[in-house]
Amino acid sequence: MAKSSLLRLQNSWSMQVRVVHALMIRELITRFGRENIGFLWIMAEPLLFAGLVGLLWHFTHGSTEHGVGVIAFVATGYIPITLFRHGVSRSVAVFTANQSLLYHRQVKTVDFILARFIIEVLGGMMAYLFMAVVLIGFGQFPIPSDIGLLIAGWLLYSVFCFSLCLIIAPLSEMSETMEKFIPVITYIMIPFSGLFYMVSWLTPDAQAVLLFSPFVNCMEMMRKGIWGDQVTAYYNIWNPIVCSTVAILMGLILCRRVRRTLTVE
Amino acid sequence: MIICSDIRKSYSHGGRHKQVLNGINLVIKQGDRVGLLGRNGAGKSTLIKLIGGVEMPTSGKIIRNMSVSWPLGFAGGFQGSLTGLDNARFIARIYRREYPDIRRFVEDFTELGKQLQMPVKTYSSGMRARLAFALSLAIEFDCYLIDEIILVGDQNFQRKCHAEMFEKRQERSMIVASHSSEFIRGFCNRAIIIHEGKAIMMDDVNEAVDQYETL
Repeated sequence: MAKSSLLRLQNSWSMQVRVVHALMIRELITRFGRENIGFLWIMAEPLLFAGLVGLLWHFTHGSTEHGVGVIAFVATGYIPITLFRHGVSRSVAVFTANQSLLYHRQVKTVDFILARFIIEVLGGMMAYLFMAVVLIGFGQFPIPSDIGLLIAGWLLYSVFCFSLCLIIAPLSEMSETMEKFIPVITYIMIPFSGLFYMVSWLTPDAQAVLLFSPFVNCMEMMRKGIWGDQVTAYYNIWNPIVCSTVAILMGLILCRRVRRTLTVE
Repeated sequence: MIICSDIRKSYSHGGRHKQVLNGINLVIKQGDRVGLLGRNGAGKSTLIKLIGGVEMPTSGKIIRNMSVSWPLGFAGGFQGSLTGLDNARFIARIYRREYPDIRRFVEDFTELGKQLQMPVKTYSSGMRARLAFALSLAIEFDCYLIDEIILVGDQNFQRKCHAEMFEKRQERSMIVASHSSEFIRGFCNRAIIIHEGKAIMMDDVNEAVDQYETL
């Protein structure tokens, strides 16, 4: 009995991997086509965003802030936040957009969210890597002092973003008013994303509040991983883990509920 | 075998509530060719979608002990912005089939030629029917769910369908929603009449069609 259920789990797992893979390829073809640089466009936007804002700050704030290179600091903040914003906007109404594929029973609603999110993560990480390599070439970016911590921060950040997408996708199907609030909410989120500051630069009151935000904790991890002893970082690794787990559970429950009542044309 | 036990389905939108199916019990066995009869809006497509797992019943249970195709109909199953071949590739991937085999069959069966490299949204309903049939035949299901679409094809397509569905694959099951009494009399060995949310399974197809025509 235990063996057969394990086998079934294995089968279902490999099926979902196939489905997500097929969905990702389909998504890349529809979004980027097969012409010119094709799917490399996924890193274009985060790069442009981070690059231009970084330059802007370079000229308005000077080349360093609290002893840290401004371009690198801004870029390391902007690329993760683009991941968050894109992930969220791609999750809105994702079930309706893909409903014709729900005709195939092995395609699950969570696969839609996952496929789109993985593409965003790949884009964000490629942009990050590309930018770091270029900036290191110009001497504007330090060699990361603790690569493991940087990657751990990135992964936790991504998992938390994904867990939010799992909640937003079904909610956006349940009510259309929800959809209208999303741009505002993602904008309001910016100060809580750890984008413009290290927690240690702030007042103790602000620190206490901001350290509740999983984004800030992950961002601190990433920046500590890059600048090492040059910065003081405050983070608790359990904050993003616990928040993501709770959000993933809620998201999965919501997806299941919405799927039961989803009307497919 | 497909077993539907006490299926109910209701839709609600903006406070309005519509009970479409109200306690359906059915058993479909291997080799059954079931014609689904019912007036417009009786719930034929809904029942096919539920059996195909596209939508979930509000209550009740569907047990599928054989492989069941996706509902072959005017809508669904394809991504309109992708080409016919890209859709074929997607379907080959998710059903674990070899794309070259599927492609060969699709090219041969549909006779769509270059059109297969155009987005599916540019297809006519007849062309869509050809593609959907070709793909589902290439994948080989035990039971085919067909929603109206068989009659949109031209003579040549109907002849091909006939050869593939009724001659080569006689042992397969089939559930066909259709308004064509002639078709159901000719090809089905059982019939279901859906009326006022209930389903009546009848073994005598001619009697079923007669009864449907009086509705």
